[in-house]
Amino acid sequence: VAAKGQMTFEVLFGRAIHAIARISDEFSFDPIEKGLALRSVNSSRSAYAYVFFSSMFFQHYCWTAMSQPCQKEKQLSLPCKLIIKSVLPVFRCVNVLERNVEKCSIYTNINDHRVTFQLLCKYGVVKTYKLTCQECDPLQAVFAKHMCPNILKVHSRLLADIMIHFPTSQEEVTLSVTPMKVCFKSYTEEDTDFSKTMLTEIQLNPDEFDYFQVGVDSEVTFCLKELRGLLAFSEATSVPVSIHFDVSGKPIAFSIEDMVLEASFILATLSDVEKETASQQPPDFSQKPPWDGIAPNTEPNTTTTFNCNAGNICRWQVYFTRRHCKDFKVAKASEIINLQILHHVVSYFYKCCIFQFHSLFFGAVSCKEDAISHTFHSLATASDTEEDFGNVQTQHPKYWCITALTELVQSTLL
Amino acid sequence: CSLFLNYKRQKFRFSCLCHAEIFQEFAVQEKSVMFWINLSVLDCLTIFGTSSLPGTSTALRMCYRGYGYPLMLFLEEGGVVTVCKINTQEPDELLDFDFCSKNVVNKIILQSEGLREAFAELDMTSEVLQITMSPDKPYFRLSTFGNAGSAHLDYPRDSDLMETFHCNQTQTNRYKISLLKPSTKALALSCKVSIRTDTRGFLSLQYMIRNEDGQICFVEYYCCPDEDIAEAEL
Repeated sequence: VAAKGQMTFEVLFGRAIHAIARISDEFSFDPIEKGLALRSVNSSRSAYAYVFFSSMFFQHYCWTAMSQPCQKEKQLSLPCKLIIKSVLPVFRCVNVLERNVEKCSIYTNINDHRVTFQLLCKYGVVKTYKLTCQECDPLQAVFAKHMCPNILKVHSRLLADIMIHFPTSQEEVTLSVTPMKVCFKSYTEEDTDFSKTMLTEIQLNPDEFDYFQVGVDSEVTFCLKELRGLLAFSEATSVPVSIHFDVSGKPIAFSIEDMVLEASFILATLSDVEKETASQQPPDFSQKPPWDGIAPNTEPNTTTTFNCNAGNICRWQVYFTRRHCKDFKVAKASEIINLQILHHVVSYFYKCCIFQFHSLFFGAVSCKEDAISHTFHSLATASDTEEDFGNVQTQHPKYWCITALTELVQSTLL
Repeated sequence: CSLFLNYKRQKFRFSCLCHAEIFQEFAVQEKSVMFWINLSVLDCLTIFGTSSLPGTSTALRMCYRGYGYPLMLFLEEGGVVTVCKINTQEPDELLDFDFCSKNVVNKIILQSEGLREAFAELDMTSEVLQITMSPDKPYFRLSTFGNAGSAHLDYPRDSDLMETFHCNQTQTNRYKISLLKPSTKALALSCKVSIRTDTRGFLSLQYMIRNEDGQICFVEYYCCPDEDIAEAEL
């Protein structure tokens, strides 16, 4: 008997199918003794969906193990694979289903390779769909949720309200957590043109969550498109969503669980590209840069740093400085090396070209951090406009910055 | 007095019957006037309101001077007048399906509401739509056999949707789905549909359309069964 406000099976099943449809074109339909399991994995193996309806969920659940006469032990029926495209029409208009469908029955006949869905609808109309299925090997994702240092539990309504702010075209979203706050933001690649992009960022306090545990600060990026299906499904169930995750590169799991059903969407997360890049060998500066002569870059850029219009050198620099730009943190000792590289690069630029220098934020890198950070800050704010330079040569204000920077860097290293 | 519009294709025929009362003005001087026009002309002009704003209505005036003259259509919508002159063709032989009431074996009248969703959701990967009509279960069944598997829609004889149920014999016939799809437009506009099959398995669908003034107009559709019939799956 459905409680008031609880959705009927066919609506939930329909939503489950729609959710799984976001992951893959086919899913495995696996009736077992305890209930009905639906599983799916996407083609790149970066997303796995699992929905389980316990036998208690059904008005009538009948499962029998088939025994093969030639084998001694009972053989459990293998899960079968169904094509989403063939099942979706059965549950096409989930909203309409709520009003029109009184009862839904599912029969499986493995011998015949068929799964039959029968819907009893309004006006006594009976819809019977006999779908062909194929045998398939059982799918299983191995993911130890309990080993995750970070666990958040939030009402599905809140999660849906957060995600709705991201445009449907937004493929990936970054979840960033510290013990103090949680932030969902659009994922951007390093070469994103910020003047043409809309970025969304939503910050939440720990007290907005039903359960909040952050064992390690992390920033994980996952595919939002694949998740949207689960969000719709969880809204239908009104069960809170648990998020289990670790550091970037490790999977993130969104799951819901109640007495009669369970669903998990496990998504791979992007591994930290920046970390990889910074540990790369710095480029060879003895080579002539791949641009011709003086080439100032006039492209407006609301983010940071050295702006040259060509070369690996520049790009690498962009990674480096932008990282510090994000959070003004004290850089770790290992990053002292970057200062030396910076020195090389700056002197190189100083010799080779004039370029526009919009702003530079620099985190401290050594024991002389206070002095440097202070000076660099003023460098940064001073660089953008001519007025700020006061008594300094105004011939080329930006050039001045480079000179000063070079001297400063050199003095620091001595 | 009435206007018959007949649309002919190989294996089916659409007829639209509009009684004189529907028109504000209806004057035909000869006993019977008949000509053919190419419908694709009308299609490309999209005159007959594919997307009309709610609240606006289009006025139509049709004039025909006689043999050799073009058909004139005057349309007015929101102050914009469109004039069309369409050349007529020699009338072709009307495809006579020879469907007469005395050969009707099974007849059902259903409220269109019940069929609309069914037709919209028909599995188009199926080549045929199989219609079963029977005095016994399943009474009235629409079946498709597509790539995913088979789908069956059963309408019980005592359903609220069923206005009339006169089935004398169990008949199962298959019709090419591509031929039946065009009739869904008429179904969408209609309030009732009568489904009849005769001794040869020919199908007649009659859609009753009621306009805003309460006047009635009928669209008839005839289709012959698909000849390459395999044993029907029930």
